[in-house]
Amino acid sequence: MNKWLRENAWRHAFAIFMCLFSLFPLYLVVLSSVKTGGSLALTSFVPHEISFSNYQFLFHSPKTPYLLWVKNSMIIASTVAICSVVIGASSAFAFSRLRFKGKKFGIQLLLLVQMFPAVLALSAIYVIMERVYAFAPKIGLGTQAGLILVYLGGALGVNVWLLKGFVDTIPAELDEAAKIDGASPVQIFWMIFLPLATPVLAVVCLLTFIGTFNEFILARLFLVEMNGRTVAVGLQQFVGGQYSTNWGPFAAGSILASIPIVIIFLSLQKYIINGLTAGSVKG
Amino acid sequence: MSGFVRGKFAFGLKLVLLAITTAVLALLTESAYAQKEYLIGTFILIAILALNFTYLTKYSIPLKFFVPGILFFFAFVIAPILYTGTMSVYKYQTGNYLSKPAAIEQVLILGAQPDAAGTTFDIVVGKNSANQYAILVSDITNNKYFISAKTSRTPVPVSEVKLNADKVAISAPGFKPISLNVLASNNSYANIRYFYEGKYYISIESETVGAVFTQGLSYSESTGIMTNLLTGDKYKDNGKGNFAKIGGTRDQILSPGWRAPVWFQNYTRLVTDNRIRTPLIGVFIWTIFFAGFSVLSTFAFGLLLAMALNRRMRGRKVYRSILILPYAMPSIMSILIWAGMFDSQFGAINSILHTNIAWFSDASLARGAVLLVNLWLGFPYFYLICSGALQAIPSELLEAAAIDGANPRQVFRKITLPLLLQILSPLLIASFAFNFNNFNLIYLLTGGGPRDTLDGHVAGATDILISYTYQIAFGKNIQDFGLASAISVLIFILIGSISIFGLRRTKVLETFE
Repeated sequence: MNKWLRENAWRHAFAIFMCLFSLFPLYLVVLSSVKTGGSLALTSFVPHEISFSNYQFLFHSPKTPYLLWVKNSMIIASTVAICSVVIGASSAFAFSRLRFKGKKFGIQLLLLVQMFPAVLALSAIYVIMERVYAFAPKIGLGTQAGLILVYLGGALGVNVWLLKGFVDTIPAELDEAAKIDGASPVQIFWMIFLPLATPVLAVVCLLTFIGTFNEFILARLFLVEMNGRTVAVGLQQFVGGQYSTNWGPFAAGSILASIPIVIIFLSLQKYIINGLTAGSVKG
Repeated sequence: MSGFVRGKFAFGLKLVLLAITTAVLALLTESAYAQKEYLIGTFILIAILALNFTYLTKYSIPLKFFVPGILFFFAFVIAPILYTGTMSVYKYQTGNYLSKPAAIEQVLILGAQPDAAGTTFDIVVGKNSANQYAILVSDITNNKYFISAKTSRTPVPVSEVKLNADKVAISAPGFKPISLNVLASNNSYANIRYFYEGKYYISIESETVGAVFTQGLSYSESTGIMTNLLTGDKYKDNGKGNFAKIGGTRDQILSPGWRAPVWFQNYTRLVTDNRIRTPLIGVFIWTIFFAGFSVLSTFAFGLLLAMALNRRMRGRKVYRSILILPYAMPSIMSILIWAGMFDSQFGAINSILHTNIAWFSDASLARGAVLLVNLWLGFPYFYLICSGALQAIPSELLEAAAIDGANPRQVFRKITLPLLLQILSPLLIASFAFNFNNFNLIYLLTGGGPRDTLDGHVAGATDILISYTYQIAFGKNIQDFGLASAISVLIFILIGSISIFGLRRTKVLETFE
């Protein structure tokens, strides 16, 4: 018994302490979302009564077109996720299997340029898309289509690592056999690589989805109109420092928006951790 | 046979997609050229050529895999970076935002000056007998009436005009007044300068009032000199994006200015201008401290947790699922939640501690809060990483050390930690680079504050380089794209070197040999 205590007590104590630290803000948010009145001052750790008025406010108040925001987030994030996977998968395949001039230079450029944080190019993107708006109002500044295009600029670099790592594990004998049978690289890509890679593509797709869902600063620059905003922008602008008045609905909104992301994340844990060790950092 | 059909079908699909894309892009090119956006138009044109060339010929197989990605990459990553570099050698800020021709036009418009007495007249807007835009002007003080068009002015005898009670002319022979509704919807009347006398003209101030103005400035295309017609002062391009008075002091300039190339002035300002250098150094030190401390604290807590849970024990799975939660949450949401909790009046933290602390108004408290929140956000990452890495350390090593008589602490310090650091150093570097640019945390939690806005300070106590740059470019008072771009370029070089260093260590590039 003593030995058990010596060996395990501190482990449990520390783990429980860190669990409480992790749960503290999350519990508070859940608590405030089911309180009436929407104040965030903490009166007690146990709710006296559970009310869904904050959730109702979220769905019915014209101040928060929440469902529209969710829809926008879904449309933008899924379009970007699917397109980036197509772009990322094809370039990962080419980097892994094809020989061509300038391969090393290309990958170096890609890596280097990825280090340039999007926020720093913000003013440039702003000015460029403002000009695009002047001749093509549908894809310029202030439109969701324009935002999607800008996001796709990063599609080539992001996820190439994860995907390339996967392509490398597919035995080269497979495509050599196909080559002998007369298949072109494009056919090998479509008929051998893609079917084999479906699970990993799904994971990359969901990861990109989460990343785009989480993106805030470009979305804020682009989506000015209340009804065109994403959940992240909408909720941020809705609280806008006025936590006192809008906290309740905000809490409800952030919980609803987080649940699907948390579920995706937990179910993909294994793959995400593999990706982590390959050097990516989740935003 | 099926392969043949599929091949044909695929070929047809490819052609259709290519045709649609080409058509859309061609339309875009045309409208871009129509709006004189030649650079963008040319880029789209090149995109069309590249797409068609790649997918219609067999010249390069790899390109078929890369072209769409490369096009997006160039349009929205490379081009903005190059543009940032370009902006960094321009004076491009509030007051110097326009191109030179647009700025000259604006200067001339602003150069219109009212006459010395500030004369105004009652007017009626309409058309004269020649069907030109004109105004019927009542000079009540001198009891004179005239119809004035762009180039001429026709007096009307008092006997012929119809006056109202205030002696203001309502109509005159040959003059067709227009209704106020038409006037409100058609601003071509308002933009005309109606002739008065000499250099003076009447400009429509409102539907019934006209004021006498004169053009105060004139610009000579050939000499590039702007002349003040009233005082005779001459202004010349000062090479810094403004017209400056010849022989005048530095401040005697005309606004607005234009974005002018100033070469490395934005960079030298960082070093020589004390008002920029001092905050920049402060922000830089805090950025390094913030990123370094965040990496250390998240790594330390993550590692400790991983070691605590690195054995079969009851509840490990439960712990793990709870500990991963801060990392699984969308970080934007958690940061906003923390910001609400630190709210001084209504925040949960004050109400639990029974205090009334304005967390984000005090520099040290705000910094502490930022570090605490970042610990919360980041420790699960290193917990996950370290759990994996601990498994990867061969247990023989540890056993051998134990047999040699090393106590657990020695084993950790001499074997586990050095090995972990070796395995994880690229990730530690990546994490440092990530936090170095952790814009969302700073922007959403404290907004960079507390900040002495009264003194015109742009840098706040918790501002890191990237949020400081954002403030310079998109801040409330002066927006300086040129300076912000110069700092961006420097950050890029800095982060780039750190990352290349990290990449070299991971040897990741060698897999591409």
